[in-house]
Amino acid sequence: MKSILSHGSNSRTLVANSYISLDKTLVIASTLIPFICLGLFFGYPLYIVLIRSLTAADGTVGMANYIQVFNNPTLIAATLNSLLLSFITMLIALVLGFAIAYRLERTSTRGRVFITVALALPLLAPSLVQGLGLIFIFGRNGLISQWFGISINPYGFYGLLMANVLYALPQVVLIIQAALRQSDVRLYEAAEVMGATGWQKFRDITLPNAKFGLVSAGFVAFTVTITDFGNAAVIGGDFRVLATEIYNQVAGQMNFSMGAVVGILLLIPTVVAVGIERFAARKQSASASESAIQVAPDRNLKRDLILGALTHSCALVIYMVIGVTVFASFVDLWPYRMELTLRHYNISMAGGYRPLWMSLWISLLAASVGVVLIFLMTISMKKLPLHLRRIVNFIAIMPVGVPGLVLGLAYILAFNTGGPLTLLYGTPLLIGLCNLYHYHSQGFLTMMTGLRGVPASLEDTCTCFGGGMKETLRDAVVPFMMTTCIAVFFFLFMRSMVSLSAVIFLITPSINVAPVAIMQLSDAGRISEAAAFSTCLMMVVVAAMLLLRWLIKKVPSPEKRS
Amino acid sequence: MRPVSTKLTFSVLLGAVSSIVYADSITVYSALEQDEINSYLQQLSVDHPDLEVNVLRLSTGDLAARLIAEAGRPQVDVIWGLALSNMIDPQILSQLAPYSPEGVDVLAAPYKDEEGRWFAATGYLGALCINEPMLERLGLPTPASWEDLADPVYKGEIVMPNPASSGTGYMQMVAIEQGMPDGWALIEQINGNVAQYTSSGSRPCQMARMGEYAIGASFAFVAMRSIAEGYPIKMVIPEDFAGYELEASAMLSTSSNPEAAQKFLDWTLSDSVADLYGDYKEIVTIPGATRPEGADEAGLPENVEDILFPMDFAQSASDRPSFLTEWQQRIGR
Repeated sequence: MKSILSHGSNSRTLVANSYISLDKTLVIASTLIPFICLGLFFGYPLYIVLIRSLTAADGTVGMANYIQVFNNPTLIAATLNSLLLSFITMLIALVLGFAIAYRLERTSTRGRVFITVALALPLLAPSLVQGLGLIFIFGRNGLISQWFGISINPYGFYGLLMANVLYALPQVVLIIQAALRQSDVRLYEAAEVMGATGWQKFRDITLPNAKFGLVSAGFVAFTVTITDFGNAAVIGGDFRVLATEIYNQVAGQMNFSMGAVVGILLLIPTVVAVGIERFAARKQSASASESAIQVAPDRNLKRDLILGALTHSCALVIYMVIGVTVFASFVDLWPYRMELTLRHYNISMAGGYRPLWMSLWISLLAASVGVVLIFLMTISMKKLPLHLRRIVNFIAIMPVGVPGLVLGLAYILAFNTGGPLTLLYGTPLLIGLCNLYHYHSQGFLTMMTGLRGVPASLEDTCTCFGGGMKETLRDAVVPFMMTTCIAVFFFLFMRSMVSLSAVIFLITPSINVAPVAIMQLSDAGRISEAAAFSTCLMMVVVAAMLLLRWLIKKVPSPEKRS
Repeated sequence: MRPVSTKLTFSVLLGAVSSIVYADSITVYSALEQDEINSYLQQLSVDHPDLEVNVLRLSTGDLAARLIAEAGRPQVDVIWGLALSNMIDPQILSQLAPYSPEGVDVLAAPYKDEEGRWFAATGYLGALCINEPMLERLGLPTPASWEDLADPVYKGEIVMPNPASSGTGYMQMVAIEQGMPDGWALIEQINGNVAQYTSSGSRPCQMARMGEYAIGASFAFVAMRSIAEGYPIKMVIPEDFAGYELEASAMLSTSSNPEAAQKFLDWTLSDSVADLYGDYKEIVTIPGATRPEGADEAGLPENVEDILFPMDFAQSASDRPSFLTEWQQRIGR
């Protein structure tokens, strides 16, 4: 027995020997490069923010800046506002999100396309565009005020709440949908046999099963709200939130140390939430059974009517918000001369359409560099010892809790103050990297999930046949991961096209990007041109999305190939 | 050697080839409006076809913040049209190189630095944008001064720029504060009527012209432009304190191409571009400039200098931190 074993391993070593150097290099490179980049373009800039927050105006190190912040009633008020707004946004987004997800997963499939398209829309444009749309509709002189002769005032808490719920909703629905899909129909059949009512089944099976999905979704809603800047800038009015406060500290009061303090404070709730979410996710994956049989949609007239009405009205509001923005881009002089014209598409300001092409280029950079780095990071995770893996895992998903504004500020402080890395400042690559690390977590989690789909037995087989890392990758991992990689590529591409808050600190005279150009147009009062530019941007992102769907269909799945 | 080759690779790779094509290339930061920048640069390409100018347009607050952040490694050759109150902030002033461009002699003394570090060719004047149909519908009289805006009948109908973020906002309030023994009392009374404070100086006028609020406190040019575009706006220059701000230009001592920077600054005072200033500016310090389109309909006075409140820019600059602290304590919005 012993001799056979040793013989086996000997022959394996023989076959593998010729690959050993290449294999080792690959392992080392694929392990080190992504981690070095994560450290350099995420850890290091944040470290600089931390240092700046601890450095007082006179150069001494200490808590002086923090004490100043805690003695500042405006900042304290903004913090409380942010927490309140994020919490209520989270509750509403969870209730609506659950209803919509339930409607999509468990009731009739009619109208599905109408709802899914609506849910994709808020992801196509910078959040600023939503704020614009809401003002066009619900403004004091918006369509509703004009039609019904009433005066609604959307500026402040309620407008912001509405904008943030709409913005968070698509992401919340996606997560809860995934959680609902994991339920096992056999549980429901068992309950049926025991005579449980519909409500009992919902309370005792559906809700507990979706519990961790709800926690994850709640975390996402909380985070996108507390870190949002676009909605707050357009429709927030006087309702000060922490994210706009950092903007005021830095852009208005030229106070970089205080900006850094607010940046660090903005990290605390999200770091706590990331912790809770990770805990929940671990529990969730432990409770999911691989052999679960999915629950099929059923009918219940009363329930379906209520859920349908709720879902369709949410979808309708989203269509209206985006639709009115597109419509306004064709209107001669909103809201006075409603004749249609194409004149707003002749954009001469803010460099014309050049920022759009620059965004395209930067997003392609962010997406391609991102896919390679994240892919390498996830496959080399397996080779790390467990405790290291936990740490890397934590750092890799940390970016989701870092507001774009903090990251942008961190980048300008880190890459513009001397040293060899300053060569990168003012290049599309750095803006691309900033976008990549802004959305690193989601890409990383998707990639990890995709990697779990690679059959472990297949990898072992490759290794047994003497395949090195290269062969294992080529024959086992890559074919299974193709779809995931394409999805991550397009996710990074699309987010990079529309994200505003981080890059606003990184634009230079030769580089402007589409979301910033839209904000500049809107700031200059050229609302119609801002709407026209947004329409063009949305068209580019929609084209990318259609290409993604086509590509995913085109890629042969590994099962079919064998 | 290595960093140089890396930088070269980057610039080729990343499409920054423009600097190779043109003989002279400079980077300019500006707080002027984007449309005026475009129009001026068109003239520049006629006057100096060999001069390549990359302009980054930022709001006053952003631009000043960026200059201070970049003090360790300046990226820029020229500052073109930054609020004087920000330009003479010691952290920015210390980055400037003295230079007296051609044509600076015709500027009156208040429009240039004694040590030649900055000069101002243009400026802007605070003005109220009044949405007349809306005011009529509400049955309210047209206000004529800041004092009028303190009347509680305007409660919830006024939008103002926030002085913490907007150069225009700071200019408006500093004029009140410098002009009255107890300016803060008036600022607090007006505050009671303000529906919201915006971060941009032109936004209040834009909100007023869209009919979101009846009165927006902005600057004269955006009011005149709105009238020319067909919005139902009336421009009112507050008769008590007509605050104004100068837009100063300067060269940085770290400029990598000082000759081109000087050539550009000379050009900003040349006749060909001075003729264009009138299209965009209510205040042009170069004598004999034309008036903006819509100035007559809007009722801009023939001699703007006569109505200006005598601002003390040195004081505006040095008071800035204490003013904003007081703002947070008294107003806190």
